[in-house]
Amino acid sequence: MSNVLRPYLAAVRSTLTAALTLENFSSQVVERHNKPEVETGTSKEVLLNPLTISRNENERVLIEPSVNSIRLSIKIKQADEIERILCHKFTRFMMQRAESFIVLRRKPVQGYDISFLITNTHTETMLKHKIVDFIIQFMEEVDKEISEMKLSLNARARIVAESYLTAFNT
Amino acid sequence: MSVLAPIICDNGTGYSKIGFAGNSDPSFVFPTAIATRGSSSQSSRAPAVPSKPGHLASKRGVEDLDFFIGDEALANAKTPGYGVHYPIRHGMIDNWDHMERYWEQTIFKYLRAEPEDHYFLLTEPPLNPPENREQTAEIFFESFNIKGLYIAVQAVLALAASWSSNRVTDRTLTGTVIDSGDGVTHVIPCAEGYVIGSAIKHIPIAGRDISQFVLNLMRERGEMAAVPPEDQLRVASKVKENYSYVCQDIVREFRKYDEEPLKYFERYEGEHTVTGRKYGVDVGYERFLAPEIFFNPEIYSSDFLTPLPEIVDDVIQQSPIDVRRGLYKNIVLSGGSTMFQYFGQRLKRDLKQIVDRRLDASALASGSTQKSSGVEVDVISHKRQRYAVWFGGSLLASLPEFYTSCHTKAQYDEIGPSICRRYQIFGSAT
Amino acid sequence: MILLEPQNVIIQTTLSEKIIKPSSLDVQFVDYDGVRFHLSTPEKKTVLLLSMHIRCWDELVKYGALDILRREYGALVATQVENEYNVSLEIDIEQVPADPEARDAFVMSIALFKRNALAAPFELGFKTQKELESSGGQGELMQIHYRDEEAIYIQASLDRVTVIFSTVFQDETDRIFGKVFLQEFVDARRQPSIQNAPQVLYSNRDPPLEIRHVPGLRNTEDVGYVTFVLFPRHFVNPSTASATISHIQLFRDYLHYHIKCSKAYMHSRMRHRVAEFQKVLNRAKTEVATGERKTVSGRTMVSR
Repeated sequence: MSNVLRPYLAAVRSTLTAALTLENFSSQVVERHNKPEVETGTSKEVLLNPLTISRNENERVLIEPSVNSIRLSIKIKQADEIERILCHKFTRFMMQRAESFIVLRRKPVQGYDISFLITNTHTETMLKHKIVDFIIQFMEEVDKEISEMKLSLNARARIVAESYLTAFNT
Repeated sequence: MSVLAPIICDNGTGYSKIGFAGNSDPSFVFPTAIATRGSSSQSSRAPAVPSKPGHLASKRGVEDLDFFIGDEALANAKTPGYGVHYPIRHGMIDNWDHMERYWEQTIFKYLRAEPEDHYFLLTEPPLNPPENREQTAEIFFESFNIKGLYIAVQAVLALAASWSSNRVTDRTLTGTVIDSGDGVTHVIPCAEGYVIGSAIKHIPIAGRDISQFVLNLMRERGEMAAVPPEDQLRVASKVKENYSYVCQDIVREFRKYDEEPLKYFERYEGEHTVTGRKYGVDVGYERFLAPEIFFNPEIYSSDFLTPLPEIVDDVIQQSPIDVRRGLYKNIVLSGGSTMFQYFGQRLKRDLKQIVDRRLDASALASGSTQKSSGVEVDVISHKRQRYAVWFGGSLLASLPEFYTSCHTKAQYDEIGPSICRRYQIFGSAT
Repeated sequence: MILLEPQNVIIQTTLSEKIIKPSSLDVQFVDYDGVRFHLSTPEKKTVLLLSMHIRCWDELVKYGALDILRREYGALVATQVENEYNVSLEIDIEQVPADPEARDAFVMSIALFKRNALAAPFELGFKTQKELESSGGQGELMQIHYRDEEAIYIQASLDRVTVIFSTVFQDETDRIFGKVFLQEFVDARRQPSIQNAPQVLYSNRDPPLEIRHVPGLRNTEDVGYVTFVLFPRHFVNPSTASATISHIQLFRDYLHYHIKCSKAYMHSRMRHRVAEFQKVLNRAKTEVATGERKTVSGRTMVSR
């Protein structure tokens, strides 16, 4: 992990840990309903101030806390066209399998690449610090994975081109 | 330019049947096997290439293109460094990495088709989870950019294939499918193109067991002594394929054979695969006993004892009452292990007996003089039985409605893989 | 499998089977670039009729495809062409050489039917180049519209033959992947080991000079032009020339095949990565003690 990345992740980690103080909270609008308030947004008084942690203009995290749920959205670094398409492919692939990633949202918040929704049920049934660990590890590895995919694409392209052109020699 | 023929891909547990719509036989039939670098003992969950994503070796190179499929995979099974995998288990796709590469080579090496120009019809087993359909759609639309995709249930295609029989007058998608391949036999009721999932039954007797049974019989008679051990199972399956038939009365058949052995006994001539030495075996009672294990399973297995006609009757009785007549009337055979001569007739007779007995019993129990008009029982055999599922696909995909029922690339881009969750039937006469 | 093979596997396998055991037959199948085949036994079991439909047949005929096919197949080329198809071969199984090696070679040559038809403009180009060596000037620009939106342009000049492929990518991902691949084709030649390979140029949007005057060229972001410059050493003798032709014909298919393979590879990487993430998240789950639940009568409750 580079030295620049560490403070960024540390900031996300402590903010997220602080924000993960959720409690069971019934909807004030619909009787006997219990909804993630950050998603419905119907009662303003239970929403807390959203917060953006940004590393540079291309990489930032948006944390939107509320009384019973928080929403965390990540904008992943995309330096060029290839990284953009790979990032899009990867996040879509993962969101396609959101069912098994309990805290993953099926659609990202606008302006971001991937979003997580953590509710009080999640913090009750799962270990809070491990959820934070998961998100931090995801952020760490997703960049690495995308740049590795890009490298491997280039390497493949080279091999493919070379083997095609070498065949002319024979 | 006219649209190129859709590609029909029926990937079964044992064999894949692949070809173009409009033909009567698949262009390729080969094992659903893939031989990849890395030992087969390695866990199939973690493929060799991406298991170490941080490692330098995976960044460089195209190791994932180094593999064989089908017959070539089996031929390379002994090559050091290669391991054979079977990506489909019990009809369902088990290893998506291998399956994706399997399809890749099927399309580009064998079919030589540009997937962007073609529609695809794939098959799935009954009760396939919708997630699997989504993953399939993801592969075909994202990796291969195909024009359109239709995923059909194998049983329904088998019903469609029976339309080729001249005994079928109305093109209905209601019926009971008996699908018997190499590994397992299914009895699947379908009502108007939809599988009645709760009533499906599986029978653990299929082609492989019949071959084994033939082998046992011939060993007991001492015929196999002349055959080299490694060839024995192959000889048994040849005997099964070439000489077996279903008899109508097992006792009479035995007597017939004993009276005139010369007339009924056949001789099988074989050749040793390695040395080329000739040998021959006499084929006797196996001829009619082999398929008999469907009707009297106790002669082969001790833990499964229900005869096939009873299972079929059970399945239909568990289906909703308003479709039962349709299910009795249209029993369709599919798969290689239903190819025995007179198989259909025997099944029909036995099933008819069961049904009639029940009708008589209920008439007696009710004590009334009114009698049921009877239930029509019919078993359809046809020429395309062996690759019935594939043929049904070929038939449906050559209908003009096929294109309107397909999920297209544009729809996929718009909505995503969830379009394949719902399954749309078409082709029935309604 | 890295390189694609030039022969059609279906022709190859079906024909080998039918030579051993003739039977009636009626199959339709395809090859790359929308080529359709129809293999049938219209009259008797031992005479196979193989018909082919190529989108750009008229253009190919103009550049001498029929002559090439007659040279390759001689009397096999049927005088009567089947309806809806462009050209037919009549194969009498009884005339096939009995010697296994000769037979395999015969089957192979039939399986190269499409390759041979498509070879015509290339051969013509090579021939023109030979003629131009003494006279100078430029050969005719040959256009082969082998797909709906894509074409091959071939032009012979004094010291080389230029082959230009126009490529169109339907899909956004393919376009970007394709760009990466094509860039590598251009760069790969710097390697000392492949200095002898033809020179490759790639341009996005703007058509290269040779074909700039051709009407109807699209000028959008998704179009690219790949130029191969073949030097006389690539077709110095007939066997090199034919290898070069087989190879260059499949360029588009090769490119698309590898784009698709990379996507498949990406998928398997992502599957692996997602499974890893899944493991990390599963660590967060607390162990819920799920003891066996029993009913009053002592039976175990099982959720299905």
